[in-house]
Amino acid sequence: MIFTIFKKELKETLRDRRTILMMIVIPVLLIPVILNVSVGIMSSVEKEASAKELRIGIIGNKNCFVGKELEAIPASFGKKKISYYPDAASLQKDLQKDSLDLGVMEDALLKDKFSKKTPATILWYFKGTEMGMEERAKGYMQYLENKTQQQRYQEMQIDGTQLKPLIPVYKNIASDKEMIGKLAGGFLPYIFIAFGFMGCMYPAIDLFTGEKERGTIETMLVVPVARWKILFGKMGVVILSGLLASSFSLLGLYISLNYSDVIQVPEIKEVIQSILTVKFILILFLLLIPLTVFFAGVLIPLAIYSKSFKEAQSIITPLNLVMILPAMLASFIPGFELNYATACIPVINVVLASKDLIAGTLDMGMLAVSFLVMAIFAGSSVFLSNYQFGKESNVSN
Amino acid sequence: MIEVKDLRKEFPLSKQQKAEIQTTDTVSVAVDSISFTCQPGKVFSLLGPNGAGKTTTLRMLATIFNPTSGTISICGHDSVKESELVRKKIGFLTGSTGLYGRLTPNELITYFGDLYGVSKADQAIRKEKLYDLLDMHDFQNKRIAKLSTGMKQKVSICRTMIHDPEVVIFDEPTSGLDVITAENIIELIKECKIQGKTVIFSSHIMSEVDLLCDDLAIINKGKLLYQGTMDAFRANMQETNLTAEFIRIIRNS
Repeated sequence: MIFTIFKKELKETLRDRRTILMMIVIPVLLIPVILNVSVGIMSSVEKEASAKELRIGIIGNKNCFVGKELEAIPASFGKKKISYYPDAASLQKDLQKDSLDLGVMEDALLKDKFSKKTPATILWYFKGTEMGMEERAKGYMQYLENKTQQQRYQEMQIDGTQLKPLIPVYKNIASDKEMIGKLAGGFLPYIFIAFGFMGCMYPAIDLFTGEKERGTIETMLVVPVARWKILFGKMGVVILSGLLASSFSLLGLYISLNYSDVIQVPEIKEVIQSILTVKFILILFLLLIPLTVFFAGVLIPLAIYSKSFKEAQSIITPLNLVMILPAMLASFIPGFELNYATACIPVINVVLASKDLIAGTLDMGMLAVSFLVMAIFAGSSVFLSNYQFGKESNVSN
Repeated sequence: MIEVKDLRKEFPLSKQQKAEIQTTDTVSVAVDSISFTCQPGKVFSLLGPNGAGKTTTLRMLATIFNPTSGTISICGHDSVKESELVRKKIGFLTGSTGLYGRLTPNELITYFGDLYGVSKADQAIRKEKLYDLLDMHDFQNKRIAKLSTGMKQKVSICRTMIHDPEVVIFDEPTSGLDVITAENIIELIKECKIQGKTVIFSSHIMSEVDLLCDDLAIINKGKLLYQGTMDAFRANMQETNLTAEFIRIIRNS
């Protein structure tokens, strides 16, 4: 009987445009679109930044040290237009008005300090709200510093290498796969979790609140089938919808990688493709199944309690944040690791375990704990759903 | 056969509900110790104004609600202890029953046939018979959402009867329907009576009651005010017509 109910509910669900949209169309299309748009924006911002003519204001005249040096800086540092100001006030005013991007003022005693071989100050003005200006200032400063330092070494007849007793060499022994796993690995589980939850949401509302709203629930309650069987048949469809939404988001990612040139660095593309193995997908689904059951088990009691589609949406939408926010935090906060404490926190444990899985550093003991914890939460949520579905006040209008 | 003894149903009141009706009671009594019997081959009518407790009583008979106290026996089975057996014996149709709009009548009838455990062979025979009777062949494969109210009502009837129930419960089955569509229901009730089924229906349309029922009970505010045969009711009337007599009994209560 559970299967009879499951088949019928699945047929109905697959005939609902809203559910198809949330379960298949959006996951498959959204990921390529998000990736393309974000990569497109990033590259256009980079292009724009490199092509942009930097307007630099210098307090002083063309013959001052900074003026001469900056005018001589090679074009490889980017296009620039230099103007001169008599005082700091007029320069700062232009910076505020966005007529300038950077301002420079050299030490008033620069020549004296140079002759005495003491350090002189170069003051850089910039607006922190303008992206990349501090970096451009540091780039110019590094160039000026290196050039002046070499000149001073020559004047003093010193071999500069003798003043550098240590040469630091930093060697990253983490593999590319590990690096991507730790840095961006949270992105994948976050997407699967977000789509899994959204995939469960509409069928849960449609199959429970919808039955009450459409007045079909009474006919179901008078059939000679135990209520828990009715619940399980319906719940099966909610869970399947969540898992399908996650799977279609994976398909969307696969399509993006293989059929669009969204990722142009071949090494990164190769690493991501090496992550998407059968083993990875199987272990990911091992974690996603109890997680999706948990989602269904949390959504269904709320859908049963709600009297109308609108009420269900207004209750469930904030829950969306409650569920997805921890996943987001666990995905993107660096240093948040899977350990026996975090393995006991539902949703977060799945994200962290998935991150480790992508990085290839997943501890099987932690995986077992995460799975067990999710299974306990999933079981409890099913129990809660059964309790709610058995309440007379919840199943009648 | 339906036997109802001392049936009572209480619903817990929330704080908001208590404030709304200004009471300190923790429960509201929807049905208060009512007893009646419905015989096979007869049509029993449950009459009462809105909020009298008719729907709650019928929902208890249909096992949707459990009684707070009292017993219901349907074809010899207790509605609480043997609820699944009871559900196999009953067909339940209400005026507000919805249907699954994304299914076709054929898919819906097959689904309910399967849920009631009707064999495929029996389903085919009963479907054919009901489709002929209700003239449903033309729209059996159209999506229910696209059907007219009359067509939908025919599908509801078919769903109610696919397992050939011994007891049929109708809760205001003609409410909101036009006279032609309501006629299908009237015919169905007559057909059930001829077939020897036990029929109970709630209504406040006295012309329907006059036309169909053999026995009747009048309830108001959950209490039973009158129970007897239709013939006895007519014979003892103090008013000139059924509607006026019904109103008199309710007002006197």
